[in-house]
Amino acid sequence: MTVSELPYDAGGDSELVMVCREFVELVTEHLEGSLPQEVERAIGAHLELCEPCLQYLGQVRATVGLLGALPAPSLSPVVRTRLLDVYARLHEPRSGDRHGDQERPPRRQM
Amino acid sequence: MEQQPEDPPGPGATVVEAAVAVGGSHVQADLLDRLRAGDRIAFAELVNGWSPALLRLAQLHVSTRASAEEVVQETWLAVIHQLDRFEGRSSLRTWVFRILENVARGRGRREARTLPWSSAFPEPRDPADAPPSVDSTRFRGPEDRWPGGWTPTGRPTSWQPPPDDAAVAAELRRRLGDALAELPDRQRIVVELRDVHGLTSEEVCERLRLSPGNQRILLHRGRARLRQQLEDFYRDRRGPGDDRV
Repeated sequence: MTVSELPYDAGGDSELVMVCREFVELVTEHLEGSLPQEVERAIGAHLELCEPCLQYLGQVRATVGLLGALPAPSLSPVVRTRLLDVYARLHEPRSGDRHGDQERPPRRQM
Repeated sequence: MEQQPEDPPGPGATVVEAAVAVGGSHVQADLLDRLRAGDRIAFAELVNGWSPALLRLAQLHVSTRASAEEVVQETWLAVIHQLDRFEGRSSLRTWVFRILENVARGRGRREARTLPWSSAFPEPRDPADAPPSVDSTRFRGPEDRWPGGWTPTGRPTSWQPPPDDAAVAAELRRRLGDALAELPDRQRIVVELRDVHGLTSEEVCERLRLSPGNQRILLHRGRARLRQQLEDFYRDRRGPGDDRV
C-alpha cells in the first residue's frame, strides 16, 4: 500500500496548504460539511487554483447524482413466475367448478 | 359485479389504479372479486406494477438484494393466502405495503444480529491502513517540485459526453449498478442507504448503529470506488490509444 503523509500538512506556521492527494481523501467530509473551518478554507483556496481537483469533485457529485437516479430494481423472472404459479394453482378450477372462489386455500402462510 | 357506477376509476381503470381505491368502494370490491376468483391477469399486473417499489422498500431494511427479493416474495405469498381474509378497510395497496414492512422489519432485525457492524468493525481510523481513494501513481512523488499534485497523465479530465447524455446514460447506469453490487457489504449498504435511497447520515448511523466517523469512512470509500469505475468507463470508451490529457 501507499500513502501517507499526514493529511493536511501545515505548509507554514498558520496557513494550511492542501495538495491534490490530500484533497481527494477529504472530499466526502467536505461534501458532508463535517470539516473544521480552517480545513474548509484550505480546500477553497486549493480549488480556486486546481482545475483537476475541481473536476474530481464534480465527478464525485455526478456519481452521487447517478446513484440517486438508478432505475428501480425489478423482481427476477424466476421469482415472478413462481408467484404467478402459486396464485394460479390456488385458483385452479376443479371438476365443473369454473370459478375458483369456492376453493379454500390449501394452507395458510405465517 | 354488474354495477359500474360513477366511481372515477371506472371500467377503464387499470388494476394498479383500482388497487389504490379507498376501502369499501365499488372499484375496490370489483378488484377483490377478480383477485379472489383467480384472475391471473389482474394478479400479474399487481406483481409487475408494485414489485419494484416493494423491492426498494425492502432494501431499506435488509442488507442484500437477494434478501430483499425474498422479502418481496414472502409478501406476495402472504397476500395470495390472506386475500380472502382482507377486510378492505384500507386500500389494497396500503394493505400490501404494510405486509411488506412487517416482513422486512422482522428479517432486518434477524440480520442485524448476524451482520458484523459494530463488534467486528475493522477500525479504519488510522489513515495508513486505508487504501487511497485514487491510485497513488497518479500523484507526484515527494521528490517532485509539487509533491502530492496530480501528474500530467494522472489528472482527472472532464467526462464527455456528460453522464446524463442519452448516448452514455444507459450504459453508465448499468456499469454503476454492477459496481455498486460489487462493493464490500458495509460500503455498499451505506452508499445504498445514503445515495440511492436518500437517507440522511443521522438516519444511517442510527439504523446501522455506526459512529458518524465510521459512516463517513464507509461512504467515502464506496463513493471513491464508484467514481473510479465511472472514470474507467469513460477511459475505455475513448479507447486505449487516447491520452488522458
